[in-house]
Amino acid sequence: MKLAGIKSVDNAHDDSVWAVTWAPATATRPPLLLTGSLDETVRVWKSDELILDRTNTGHCLGVASVAAHPLGSIAASSSLDSFVRVFDVDTNSTIATLEAPPSEVWQMRFDPKGSILAVAGGGSASVNLWDTSTWEIVATLSIPRVDGPKPSDKSGSKKFVLSVAWSPDGKRIACGSMDGTISVFDVQRAKFLHHLEGHFMPVRSLVYSPYDPRLLFSASDDGNVHMYDAEGKALIGTMSGHASWVLCVDVSPDGAAIATGSSDRTVRLWDLNMRASVQTMSNHTDQVWGVAFRPPGGNDVRSGRLASVSDDKSISLYDYS
Amino acid sequence: MASVYIPVQNSEEEVRVNLDQLPRDASDILDILKAEQAPLDLWLIIAREYFKQGKVDQFRQILEEGSSPEIDEYYADIRYERIAILNALGAYYSYLGKIETKQREKEEHFILATQYYNKASRIDMHEPSTWVGKGQLLLAKGEVEQASSAFKIVLEGDRDNVPALLGQACVEFNRGKYADSLELYKRALQVYPNCPAAVRLGIGLCRYKLGQFEKARQAFERVLQLDPENVEALVALAIMDLRSNEAAGIRKGMVKMQRAFEIYPYCAMALNYLANHFFFTGQHFLVEQLTETALSVTNHGPTKSHSYYNLARSYHSKGDYDKAGVYYMASVKEISKPHEFVFPYYGLGQVQIKLGDFRSALSNFEKVLEVYPDNCETLKALAYIYVQLGQTDKGHEFIRKATKIDPRDAQAFLELGELLILSDTGAALDAFKTARTLFKKGGQEAPIELLNNIGVLQFERGEFEFAKQTFKEALGDGIWLSFFSEANKSSIDAATSTLQFKDMQLFHDLESSGQLVEVPWDKVTVIFNLARLLEQLNESGTASILYRLILFKYPDYIDAYLRLAAISKARNNILLSIELVNDALKVNGKCPNALSMLGELELKNDDWVKAKETLRAASDATDGKDSYATLSLGNWNYFAAVRNEKRNPKLEATHLEKAKELYTKVMIQHSSNLYAANGAAVVFAEKGHFDVSKDIFTQVQEAASGSVFVQMPDVWINLAHVYFAQGNFALAVKMYQNCLRKFYHNTDSQVLLYLARTYYEAEQWQDCIKTLQRAIHLAPSNYTLRFDAGVAMQKFSASTLQKAKRTADEVRATVAGLQNAVRIFSQLSAASNLHIHGFDEKKIDTHVGYCTHLLSAAKVHLEAAEREEQQIRQRQEVARQVALAEEARRKAEEQRKIQMDRRKHEDELKIVQKQEEHFKRVKEQWKSSTHSKRRERSDDEDGGTAEKKKRKGGKRRKKDKHSKSHNDTEEMEPGEMEPDMMDEQEMEDEDANTNYREELQTDTKDVEENPHGLLALAGLEDSDADDEPAAGPSSTISRRRQALSESDDDEPIMKQQSPVRENSVDMEESDGEIRGGEKTHGDAASDEEK
Repeated sequence: MKLAGIKSVDNAHDDSVWAVTWAPATATRPPLLLTGSLDETVRVWKSDELILDRTNTGHCLGVASVAAHPLGSIAASSSLDSFVRVFDVDTNSTIATLEAPPSEVWQMRFDPKGSILAVAGGGSASVNLWDTSTWEIVATLSIPRVDGPKPSDKSGSKKFVLSVAWSPDGKRIACGSMDGTISVFDVQRAKFLHHLEGHFMPVRSLVYSPYDPRLLFSASDDGNVHMYDAEGKALIGTMSGHASWVLCVDVSPDGAAIATGSSDRTVRLWDLNMRASVQTMSNHTDQVWGVAFRPPGGNDVRSGRLASVSDDKSISLYDYS
Repeated sequence: MASVYIPVQNSEEEVRVNLDQLPRDASDILDILKAEQAPLDLWLIIAREYFKQGKVDQFRQILEEGSSPEIDEYYADIRYERIAILNALGAYYSYLGKIETKQREKEEHFILATQYYNKASRIDMHEPSTWVGKGQLLLAKGEVEQASSAFKIVLEGDRDNVPALLGQACVEFNRGKYADSLELYKRALQVYPNCPAAVRLGIGLCRYKLGQFEKARQAFERVLQLDPENVEALVALAIMDLRSNEAAGIRKGMVKMQRAFEIYPYCAMALNYLANHFFFTGQHFLVEQLTETALSVTNHGPTKSHSYYNLARSYHSKGDYDKAGVYYMASVKEISKPHEFVFPYYGLGQVQIKLGDFRSALSNFEKVLEVYPDNCETLKALAYIYVQLGQTDKGHEFIRKATKIDPRDAQAFLELGELLILSDTGAALDAFKTARTLFKKGGQEAPIELLNNIGVLQFERGEFEFAKQTFKEALGDGIWLSFFSEANKSSIDAATSTLQFKDMQLFHDLESSGQLVEVPWDKVTVIFNLARLLEQLNESGTASILYRLILFKYPDYIDAYLRLAAISKARNNILLSIELVNDALKVNGKCPNALSMLGELELKNDDWVKAKETLRAASDATDGKDSYATLSLGNWNYFAAVRNEKRNPKLEATHLEKAKELYTKVMIQHSSNLYAANGAAVVFAEKGHFDVSKDIFTQVQEAASGSVFVQMPDVWINLAHVYFAQGNFALAVKMYQNCLRKFYHNTDSQVLLYLARTYYEAEQWQDCIKTLQRAIHLAPSNYTLRFDAGVAMQKFSASTLQKAKRTADEVRATVAGLQNAVRIFSQLSAASNLHIHGFDEKKIDTHVGYCTHLLSAAKVHLEAAEREEQQIRQRQEVARQVALAEEARRKAEEQRKIQMDRRKHEDELKIVQKQEEHFKRVKEQWKSSTHSKRRERSDDEDGGTAEKKKRKGGKRRKKDKHSKSHNDTEEMEPGEMEPDMMDEQEMEDEDANTNYREELQTDTKDVEENPHGLLALAGLEDSDADDEPAAGPSSTISRRRQALSESDDDEPIMKQQSPVRENSVDMEESDGEIRGGEKTHGDAASDEEK
């Protein structure tokens, strides 16, 4: 497996780019790339040439997360002001504006079927689930409070929820917190199941393997990527190699590789069979906040694509094969 | 049976004396000799016989009697015999003197000998045998030159005097003129072919010295033929055999040597060589016995020296340095000049190094170096001594010389590298690498230590991949390979246990599965270093396994525990880390490193009191000599001083003072300790002595750059703090940013907070807010950052509102900022119900209140500003409308003209057609030309797709013109009025587009509400009046920029919305704009159609 750079857009945004996702192909168009930035905009890019399709404004602070509906037609973006804006990808018309104070909004993910939007709730130590038809909260998954031995922690509850991931069957949600623990929930019963331990620093990104609903990858500030059996509560493997925080992780559509972005300014590709880093891309000049593999589908059946975004204001697109 | 006959006086009778049965008492014979007045030659014969029989006393008695004054008187005429007797006595005493070891008696003997010879000379000045004797005496006394002149006197008289020839040969030999000596021996042999074997021995020795070994060997062999028991020849042959350096030769040599020893067990030379042999075979007992015998039988200096040397070597090799030293010393004392025999100096030097007497060793090695100026071993030894004496430069000089002399001496390069390690790592690395290549060339394995050193140096210089390879090379094959080679990864799933830092199951499993878990002792260090390197390469998982491998086999290896603890600390697993450190402390409860680390961890755990105790213990464990512990205590005090928000000035002062004291203590111990300097500077800064602290920080920063092991982001931050405190915000910003990039991969929210604070003080609000947003993004759970962001927005808004001049956009941004601030504060307020984030709810409420107040005030301002802008827009729009109308008119005119032309043309064509109907020849030609025209016209009429295209094209052209005209109107706009406006040009445009449809508002109201508006208005009118506004170059530039941004807006401006307003409003407005735009275009189009 291999990554080959296709295109890099410098100054794709006016400021740091913090979020990236692919809006899957629809009947009328190929997949689009959505990026969110500190410059308070979300931009839409098309084709391998990364042509700027549109710039969506509307957030008052930096855009920290973007998520796309599996059907590709709608997407959500959230900023540090904790508003979620749900919009039509093709027309940019606002579909809904979500807010659930005092919950903040960090990472968001649509479930595989597209009926629920899961939103990491930050300091509320919970994940809010929004129904995508009514845009009402259908459930709030709270991490049970542990009667910690040290209530004096300055940052309050350490179960500050940063990241969220859906299992491919849509039955489980995993969320990562500031203190490094990962919590797994049963979605249907809206019930907390268990913690996954191993990290002791913030887990900023999580992703399930597309084929194995038990296999979960986590990226943490401790510089490691962990592989968990999310059901068996077991740590299967650790992959170290990044020199600094691992900020993001995504798994390739074929499930054979994962890509990570790190504060050490690199994007790494990891072979899951070897459990080793097979390639390191160093084209970014600042921390890499987001990596995203393009989902398969649409009439565009060419080989895989990986996009990465960085604090250096640039977007890079790679061919994955 | 030999006998002599003493003639009886005055008769024919003779007394027959049987020489084998000489009386024990020489007096009997003497009486007879005296009584019979026997000829003197008989006396001599009898004396000689006594001598031959070893009866020296009798010999002397007879000769002394024979040389007594009465005899002289009596035999006054018989000169030759008298001389012979005296010479015999002289020779006898010469011999005695020669073999006598005691100096005084030796001299006495020589004096006696001299006396006899002198007496002989007095009898006859020219007697050659006397001269020969004198010569030999002088030789024995070592006065070679005088001996030579004595022999020469003889030889002048008789060229072929054999004893003189031999004597002279001996002289020449001693002078080192072996060729001359050889000639003389040869002549002696020619003159007297039957001379004793000793002559041939001389020849052999000369040839040997001349390097003619084969001939020498022949000579020695001839000696042995003549005299099979000749020890010297045997020894000489043996030595030659030994020197051959072949096993067979040595064996033959030893056989000969042993025979010589059996024949004559007291030949010192043979003894020495035997001892030498046994030294090399390791039979030290024999060595000692042999050399002791040799010492007791010889008084020949060099030989004794050799014996002592053998003895010393024997002790040296047994490690008895004291005794060895004594004997080396004795050996050295026997040598008059180091040139003769230099080895004992070398040995002595070595022993003295061992005993720590470097100065004496130095002088001894220097003596060796005089003799062998290119001897590498000596050079290396000298280099070592100089380094030990602290004269590193000289040491380098010598070792470099050694490497130059023998550039293939790996050992020398190895030592050179070791010498250089402390001073010049680069050169050291080169030396080590050379050594490694030499080892490889020589077909040897490079020693593990060497590879380890190379690896460490490469590591230190940041050449991590090279270092890794080197370490792997050093490790070679072993169980560890299975942990880091990728091929084996699948077979041993190490990953599962990477996190259980104390888990040894992995190794047990390996063992039970039949694999040998072995770690040779000499590879432990390399494994440790490799693991450390892997840590640096962020492969901490593999590193932890290697550390555990070490611990599995060597559970007392504290450093491995500590590194494991460090890894888990880096992963923020404090409890596990503490546990690991405690394991280390179980091994050695007083290990200062472990204690220091524990203290550090306890600090991290907020366990202040415990930490202080631990650090104290660490400091005590080293008697306060461990700077780390002392420094940590200093830091403890510093933090204690500044910890609380409510500072207790008294406590703060004492803590600071204590911290300074501790830092100073470290500085005294290690004047170049960067951390202590940093700490001291911090205290200075804390006390307000910024200049001093800045100096120190700058120096520390300079010193800290260069090594991968010294990472001191603190000093950068501190320096930035000082710049900040001194108000030099720009520098502070630069410093913070550099620090973030260089050390933290831009991940430290705290430094970002410092940066934001600097921006805040510098009143760069937007930068401040952006920076805070970055910080929040990095540390989302830090609510303080949000609060700060809220404050920054509030401050930004307040300051904008206080500005004398501002645009509607600024005011709008202000409003947006305030709204954000309110939102943030209320979020915080809401969150405070859920969490503890350290600030007062009331405080937040105050902020909320203030912001809302500002907001309401700002809204008024906003309205005013907007109104003002509307007017500007309106005027612009009017002008634009006019321009548009004009343009449209002109267009319509043109169109009409074109249509007229076309109609005219068509008419003409029709006429021509009619005319040409008759002319069939040219009909075809005309048809083709008209065809195109007709098609064009028909398209026009049918309204096909092509026309649409064309129309669209026209429209675009039209629009270009429209924008051009728009630019024209723009030129009239007062560009110089608000240069800030440029940034939000699109927004303004949009406003202009939306506003022109609205109703005009009265100017008076504007003036009332906003006095500044009046000024602006006046400015506008002024520039309106003058077609060319009096604007500076800057304004023209800005205008050009405006123009650019305008022409870019080919598409509706919908895409770029104002970032500060509510979504919905925005959308509506832009929609409206589009409609408006279309309307105008539509109008233009209809105009066109007319």
